[in-house]
Amino acid sequence: MKWHKSAAVIAALCIGLFCGYSTVGNQAIAQNNTAEKITVLNPLGNPPPIKLKNMAPRLNTLEGKTIYLVDDGYIGGDNLLYEIQDWFKENHPKTTTLYKRKGGGGFEAEDPALWAEMKEKADGIIIALGH
Amino acid sequence: MGIPSIPVVLSEFYEQETEKALNEGLPGLRTQWIQGPVWAKTRPELKRDVINGRNPISKQPVMQEIVEKFTKPLTNDEKRTGEIIRDRGPATFTDTEANLRKMFEEKRWTDFLPIVLPTAERVNEMLANTSRDPDEIVGKMSPTNTGNYFEYWTYTVRDVAVNAVMAGAKPEYFPLLLAVASTGKESMSVSDNSFVAALLINGSIRNELGINYTVGAMGPYAHANTTIGRAWTLISINLGNCGKVGTTYMGVVGNPMNLINIVLGENEEESPWEPFSVRKGYRKNENVVSLFEGWGVLSAANWRAASWGKEMNYPTIIKSIFDQQGGLFGATAILSPPIANFVKEAGYRTVEDFETFLVAPAASAGQAAKAKSPAPKPMAPNMSIIVAGGTNNNYYSIGGLRYLQSVQIDNWR
Repeated sequence: MKWHKSAAVIAALCIGLFCGYSTVGNQAIAQNNTAEKITVLNPLGNPPPIKLKNMAPRLNTLEGKTIYLVDDGYIGGDNLLYEIQDWFKENHPKTTTLYKRKGGGGFEAEDPALWAEMKEKADGIIIALGH
Repeated sequence: MGIPSIPVVLSEFYEQETEKALNEGLPGLRTQWIQGPVWAKTRPELKRDVINGRNPISKQPVMQEIVEKFTKPLTNDEKRTGEIIRDRGPATFTDTEANLRKMFEEKRWTDFLPIVLPTAERVNEMLANTSRDPDEIVGKMSPTNTGNYFEYWTYTVRDVAVNAVMAGAKPEYFPLLLAVASTGKESMSVSDNSFVAALLINGSIRNELGINYTVGAMGPYAHANTTIGRAWTLISINLGNCGKVGTTYMGVVGNPMNLINIVLGENEEESPWEPFSVRKGYRKNENVVSLFEGWGVLSAANWRAASWGKEMNYPTIIKSIFDQQGGLFGATAILSPPIANFVKEAGYRTVEDFETFLVAPAASAGQAAKAKSPAPKPMAPNMSIIVAGGTNNNYYSIGGLRYLQSVQIDNWR
């Protein structure tokens, strides 16, 4: 009799534990399936619109043309442009290249005098930025 | 100008310059990509690597491509004109918290640490701490505040509030954050220098907000210092389009201080001198935030470890450190109150007296020349002395930080 009582208690505990576990598990699943939705604000600023510019028309040939080699002043840009100049002399001898150091006191600074000169005399421009 | 132009750029800047060309309205700009670096190479090395080299992206010969970029007719895409209108997307997003967190991180709207999600309720609580209209434009910001290299994004009071919430800032910090945002200064510069930014706060607002200015002033040891700094980072990422590696962030080695920046109050109570803000023309007790940027600061013990002794001549030691600082990006010393008092007792009654001493030519210049050592660099013209930290020992930090500007905080209440 005593044995029967103990077995019944153990069985009841097992059923209870199983049911308890099952309930907790179901609740977790239910929470995942019906997770509350919330609304949040967009954190971004406003980028400006972009106005597309006309690309300059291309050249039919480089022969007889004048290419300005513009150095913005970053260390080493001059040496790179001198090497480009040598390459043109060797490979496109009928193309004139002119090395120019941009003025204006900074990489981004404007150089109106050089811009005006190039607008009048340049057929093409290569600008070297260094780094 | 109407003349075909070919910029020659390192391929490491491909993403950045492609985006820049688009922003400038030239998405088809025919840039020539080359192998870097150019700086520090000899002409034979440049001939080998660039002139006779290949475009690292297209794998085609560099000079052949340059010729083609001059002579190949424009495509229809390259001839396109008009305007591209960009919008930032919907005003709100609705989803589960988990999905929203995932989305914010995937879109790089965070600093990769958990954020407080900006619900309308939380944002409104932030907005309640200013009299400004939520739709008022606060300012504009780009990934560098020098020149117009990057496009500027604009933002409203509400936009700043959203990012302040995300950073975990308390609503009472909001006027200070609006003051910082109004400067348009980004906390994480695109510069390859890996700069850090700093905020110095003067006035009674330090105590009102609990901004630390004593022990650990520069570190993450107070809620205000930490979350104000983090908010500046999120404002920079989301309102100034900063911090995107490859396009708007190019710091070569990076800087961990970009996460929360350097945010500190000045220890006005224990400083022997006038507050920094007063020296910049503001009234004493006026609430002011001052902005700095540079390589950051290091403990002076790191710089002058061999100079420890029973008797310390701090003015001379500090000057020797300043003499090593170049003038390009400024110099700042953050002196603990004991150090500031040592300096004052050495005869420098005002900060200006001390600065005059610091900018004087180094006494050792002649000796250095005789010893064939590099001549000391010219004194940094942009020099700042700040008093902050505890009184528990004689420590101070010095480094490259240049003062940018100061702004009044109470205008944003």
